[in-house]
Formats: sequence, C-alpha cells, structure tokens
Amino acid sequence: MKILIVDDSSTMRRIIINTLSRIGYTDIVEAEHGKAGLEKLGQGGVEMIITDWNMPEMDGLEFVQNVRGQNPNIPILMVTTNAAKEDIVQALQAGVNNYVVKPFTPDTLKEKIESLLG
Amino acid sequence: MDQSEIDALLKAAGAQPAGAKPRKAEAAGEGQVISELDAVTAVTERETNKVMDQLDLISQLVGKQQQLITEVMQQPGAQDKAVQEAIREIMASGKEIQDKVFEAMDLMQFQDITRQKLERIVFHLRQIHDYIVDLLGTGLKNETERASISRSIHLTGTTPDEQKAHADAVVEEFQKRQKKD
Repeated sequence: MKILIVDDSSTMRRIIINTLSRIGYTDIVEAEHGKAGLEKLGQGGVEMIITDWNMPEMDGLEFVQNVRGQNPNIPILMVTTNAAKEDIVQALQAGVNNYVVKPFTPDTLKEKIESLLG
Repeated sequence: MDQSEIDALLKAAGAQPAGAKPRKAEAAGEGQVISELDAVTAVTERETNKVMDQLDLISQLVGKQQQLITEVMQQPGAQDKAVQEAIREIMASGKEIQDKVFEAMDLMQFQDITRQKLERIVFHLRQIHDYIVDLLGTGLKNETERASISRSIHLTGTTPDEQKAHADAVVEEFQKRQKKD
C-alpha cells in the first residue's frame, strides 16, 4: 500500500513515516506542499493520502479539493494543528475522510488509518 | 549553535558590521522581523532533524544488539536456565529502550507546532505593522477610525483556539443582547 504524505515540515513527515513503518506501512512518498502532492499523485500508485493543512504554495484544503476533483474515492486523512470545530467541518466538506489534531500519538494515527482502510 | 547559524540569524536580522551607519527605520521593519523568525524556524527544524538522526541511530544500534543477543541465545553454551533468563531480561530492556526512542521521536512534533505558533505571531506582527503604517501614513486618526482599525486587526488574525472559544461566547452574548433590544 503506497501512502502519500504531504507536509511542509520535514520533521513532521519523518515522524509520520516512522509511525507508519512501525505499523507496517513502508511504501511511502513525500511532498512538501499541495502542488508537489498533486504531482506525486499524478505519478500513480498512491492508495492513501495523509496531509497537513497549513502549507505554502498550496494548502491542504485546496489540495484536498483538487484531489477530490480527480479521485473521489482515495482515503484522505488530515493531520493538522487546526483544532477549531469550523475548521474540521470545512475540511470534511472539502473531502477529507478523517481528521487528526497535532500533536498526535502513534495509536491515534494507527487507529485512524486502519479505520480508513477498513 | 555554530557560527554558520549565528551568521544566518544575523543576516536575517540585517545586522550591520561595527562602525556602519545605522539603517533607516523603514528598512528595519516588518520584513526583517519575519526573516528573523523564518531563520529561527529553519534552525530549529534542522536541529530537530539532527536529534531525530541520533534517535534513529540509537534505534538501529538497539536493533543490532537484539539480533546479536538472539544469536547468542541459540549457542550451546547459553542454554543454561539462568543464562537464558538473563538474556531475556536484556532483550526486554532493549525493547524498552526502543519504545522510549520512538516516544522521543513522537515528542519532536513540538517543533512543527512551535513553528506554526511563530507563523501566527508573524501574522499578527504584519497586522500591527499595517496598522502603524496606516496611522502614520495618513496622520493621526480620529477615535472612530482608530477603533475601526483596531477592530479589523482583532477580527482578521489567525486566532488561537482558546480565544476562538472565547470569541464565540462573546458573539453569542452579543446576539442575545440584540434579540432583547
């Protein structure tokens, strides 16, 4: 299962990759903003997306809207510091399947990923 | 912090060599503060990644140690009950170290969260900057205009969540009062 991680923080990408590898997901591609994320997605093979919200070039919300324009079914998990209720609703309306607020624990991430993948 | 980092910070802050003429006030404005904060963010991200490198290394070493111990356990000389028990304890403590290393890695999320808090500060600084430029650019404003600018600063910022909850309560109270009136 190939997972795309979109986050402008290299530290955060590393932490997510680490967590994913501990739960058995090692086929991972990275992008540092939404625009780069769309490029990686265009290369094919991605089966799940984990994205941040606040990023330069193209933020997570715009990225999700773009992805949904091309692919309505790919599971998308948003991992962000935006914790307000209206933010969460906005992300869900844009097409996010689930939402994790930073800082997260590996168990939370694992649970969300597993619930998305059924 | 090494010299290259200090230089990067000084460059971002627009520091002048000794004896240089002081910069004009306008040059020491918003851009300088933002660059300085960007430099701080870049340095902390790089340093956090260095810590992550070290943690990765510890994790790999523990993994290697576990592998060696497993091999030792299979040796004929290590079949004594007491030796096997001691080896199991070593394995368990190795696992504990591994878990702590992963925990420490997860705690590094603080760097990204701090970075975003700094970005929020930059946002507010920009608004204060615009407010001051507006005030100085058009002369002293009357009380109504000042209040209007002040309100716009307050309303358009990326407000921290605790304040958002507070803002909601204020709006609710305001709406209730309007209904009564």
